[in-house]
Amino acid sequence: MDLEANRALLVAALARIPAGDRAALQTVYRLTSAKLFGVVLRILDERSEAEDVLQEVYLTIWRKAGDFDAARASPMTWLIAIARNRAIDRLRAGRIARRMEPIEAATEITDGAASAESALADSETAARLAGCLDTLAAHERTALRGAFFDGNTYEELAQRMAVPLGTMKSWIRRAMIKLKACLEPGDP
Amino acid sequence: MSDPIDHSPLPEDEFLAAEYALGVLGAAERQTAARRVARERAFAAMVAAWDQRLAPWAGEIDEVAPPPQVWERIAASLPQAAARAGLWQSLAFWRIFALASVLAAACLAIVIYLGAARPGESLVAAIEGGGQRSFVATVDVRRGTIAVVPAAFTGDATRVPELWLIPPGGKPLPVGLLKGDKPVVIAIPAALVARTASGATLAVSLEPPGGSPTGAPTGPVIGAGKLTAL
Repeated sequence: MDLEANRALLVAALARIPAGDRAALQTVYRLTSAKLFGVVLRILDERSEAEDVLQEVYLTIWRKAGDFDAARASPMTWLIAIARNRAIDRLRAGRIARRMEPIEAATEITDGAASAESALADSETAARLAGCLDTLAAHERTALRGAFFDGNTYEELAQRMAVPLGTMKSWIRRAMIKLKACLEPGDP
Repeated sequence: MSDPIDHSPLPEDEFLAAEYALGVLGAAERQTAARRVARERAFAAMVAAWDQRLAPWAGEIDEVAPPPQVWERIAASLPQAAARAGLWQSLAFWRIFALASVLAAACLAIVIYLGAARPGESLVAAIEGGGQRSFVATVDVRRGTIAVVPAAFTGDATRVPELWLIPPGGKPLPVGLLKGDKPVVIAIPAALVARTASGATLAVSLEPPGGSPTGAPTGPVIGAGKLTAL
């Protein structure tokens, strides 16, 4: 898939939704539902819940498309944030079991950094993020992964990595500071 | 220290924005943060900036095609009477069209009254629901046909309008498929001719292409109206 063409199609379709154009929503769905379903399924790990949440995601897109500003954000970033937020909200509502098996920084599941390519992700920004994540300490990166991919809370991460809650908070906050400084070195 | 990167702490609000975007907050804190996103422009911008930083990570997640019924459920949940693309022009058009068809029916009534046809040979029903008149149906009893003209009908891409006849106290019986963008004339099925009478109800539901597979309405009923003699 051609990233630029896709992006232009998506931006145009999102712009038509606030007028009530169902075909535009269907276009957005056709272009993005497999990615967003992957994102939601990764967090919820339960198919019927994930299907339910995916439906909520597109109804949210239908209602909020007018808020999307192509000058300020990439459409995929905006859509992925909606999908993650709806999935995490469902997780927090507490009806499904969350991933709680212990994780250790030493045995980090590396299904990732190297394979950070996708038809929908801008490979340049993906590579930059991967490079910056590599500058983090292994335990910081593992904690961030647990939050981003599994939707874990501070408490859950502390339990999974067998450290006190305060330690987990400072790991993640420190990782955030480093990540931002690495991604935007010029910014104060 | 030769660390070239500035590791000074972030303002508390920015931490909260980062934690919200990452998804690490518990239920209560998450709700509080979500309310701030909805109300505070500056906070929402910080969250959006963190979404932007983290989103490329989702590139690692494999795509999984959702089953087709997910789109069907989404399409069915969209508001039926919602304005569609370009409708601001065409809504006005359809309103005039609907008004014109009512006027035409009134003129027809006058013509009939003036003796061109015997009373009872024509029946009309305005099919209405959700505050909208979606179709106007006129039955020609002598010819055994129903002409159905769309008024303020907004369809969707995946379903077609289907006309049903409901005799007083009876179940809906399929009459035929309608078109959302032009009038259709349907020959009344032989079994229904006797029941197509004043007091019966015409209704329209949204069905899969080709019509309801079961012989009864399976989709939402978008409007109904009683047949009355002109």
